[in-house]
Amino acid sequence: MWIKLALAVLFTGSLLVAFATRPHVERTARQRGSTQKSLRLLSWNVGNGDLEAETRAHTEDLPAVARVILANNPDAVALQELTGEDQLKQLLAQLENRYRGFVSSRGLSDRVEAVLIRREALTGTVFNDVPSGNRFAAAASFRLQDDWPAIVIVSAHADAFNAATRRRFIGDVVDWTRRRKNDQITFLAGDFNLEVGTRNPNNLFTDDAKHDSESYAYLLKFFADLGREAGETSVNDRRIDYIFGPGSKVKLNRAEVLREAAVGHMDHWPLLVEVGL
Amino acid sequence: MITLIRIELWKLLRSKAFYLSFAALSGFVVLMLWGFYSYARQKTSGLATEQFRYTYESRSYFNGLTFTLYSLMFAFSLVIPIFVTMTAGGQIAGERRAGTLRMICIRPVSRVSLVVAKFVVVIIHTYLLLAFFIGLNLLVGLLFVGWGNLELYPGPLNLVDAPGQILRDDALWRFCYASFSGTWALLVVAAIAMLLSICFDNPVTAVSATLAAYLTLYILGRIEFFETLRPYFFSTDMDFWRDVLKPDIPWPDLYHHAATCGAYIFGLLLTAVLVFERKDITS
Repeated sequence: MWIKLALAVLFTGSLLVAFATRPHVERTARQRGSTQKSLRLLSWNVGNGDLEAETRAHTEDLPAVARVILANNPDAVALQELTGEDQLKQLLAQLENRYRGFVSSRGLSDRVEAVLIRREALTGTVFNDVPSGNRFAAAASFRLQDDWPAIVIVSAHADAFNAATRRRFIGDVVDWTRRRKNDQITFLAGDFNLEVGTRNPNNLFTDDAKHDSESYAYLLKFFADLGREAGETSVNDRRIDYIFGPGSKVKLNRAEVLREAAVGHMDHWPLLVEVGL
Repeated sequence: MITLIRIELWKLLRSKAFYLSFAALSGFVVLMLWGFYSYARQKTSGLATEQFRYTYESRSYFNGLTFTLYSLMFAFSLVIPIFVTMTAGGQIAGERRAGTLRMICIRPVSRVSLVVAKFVVVIIHTYLLLAFFIGLNLLVGLLFVGWGNLELYPGPLNLVDAPGQILRDDALWRFCYASFSGTWALLVVAAIAMLLSICFDNPVTAVSATLAAYLTLYILGRIEFFETLRPYFFSTDMDFWRDVLKPDIPWPDLYHHAATCGAYIFGLLLTAVLVFERKDITS
């Protein structure tokens, strides 16, 4: 009898411990006390789901994109999958001229990446293409105030279908940032199409998880993954949009995925990160 | 009870399946060593760095601890459960098949004690299997691959979210912890096999049904379509054993899943005891 009783007690005890220690899923914004010098960055792939005839950004979605940007007031914005410079001009107009922008060269791609910098940035903002074979990322170097360090932000979009191509592209972009001056603070933002978290034991969206692992490890050699706690950024519960920054030079105040922001058939949500400098 | 455990242990030590399990695991280690060795040689030959500027698969990455980690990860999910199930599934149904169950049950010992004694023997076998496997891998790793720190990267083993490292001495302790956490996780499968061993007359049926249930849930848990169901699979909770091999052990998660496994183990064992007590043994 006592054995049965002991088993029943152990069973109940285990259930109680399991209940008491159940994990709480936190997908809320990570928010800490802000410091005086803070920088707000937003990354958003404004393209559309693969089932759409036009998977690049839709011009009719741009007013909604502008509203999200104005509401969150980021200092710099990295956008991916615009159709070209015309869309950037329309977006800048809808942003009430508060931002300056640049689109990357097209290369062999049918879409371009863009960076937007707040107009308050001091004069001397420099926009660049970041080349990787026949693909390009867009970069901007700027300074918001005299006593602030120079900031570099890269807007990148890695290949969605080939992990080896992604790895080469990410290697090139990271190496480009490493050639910047040491006193600059560099951020890499965009849709990297990498899924390396432990949440999914089997990832059906990559053709080679090993390449993605190498790409992510290379990024983390030099940068911190600032949006790591913010949760998924794309449909199908995927976290593929990132903002990487120098972990030793910045303090993360906030990282949030704006899940109400997508309109139409967009398949990504914007990732907003605020860091103290 | 001690006498019962001693008798059951003696039976285990006399069975060929017991030694077969260790021999099969040794064969697995040899195969892993061959695969790991050739892969490491290919990856460090310079071809990878010709194509890509960076790879973490350097000579320091491929060491005995990494070898042990890979070997343990793959064997734990698909090889070791087979032997645990064979032992547990044969405990009662095996006696019935051999025609000895009725005789055992007319002895002046309670059926509850008999089931518990048999399960204790399964626990001992499971721990010995894991400890032997980890020890053999570490030994082979030390002799043939060499030692270093345990470097972990997100991706292939699905173990960490960010690159990390466990220093050699700490890593050895982690493998020691893994022998206990792994045993606890495998006891869920053992408890299912024990219950089915009581329910079925044939040990093969008990073992097959347990493996079918485990492998089905294990595979479904790895398919994205079942993401919402995954937390309810016992195979998902069993994965907690790997947490001790992470650079920072997530203790709250580990406690939760270990306790859930405990609920499975004790719940199934209690059910097994209750069923066995009421069972009419006619063979």
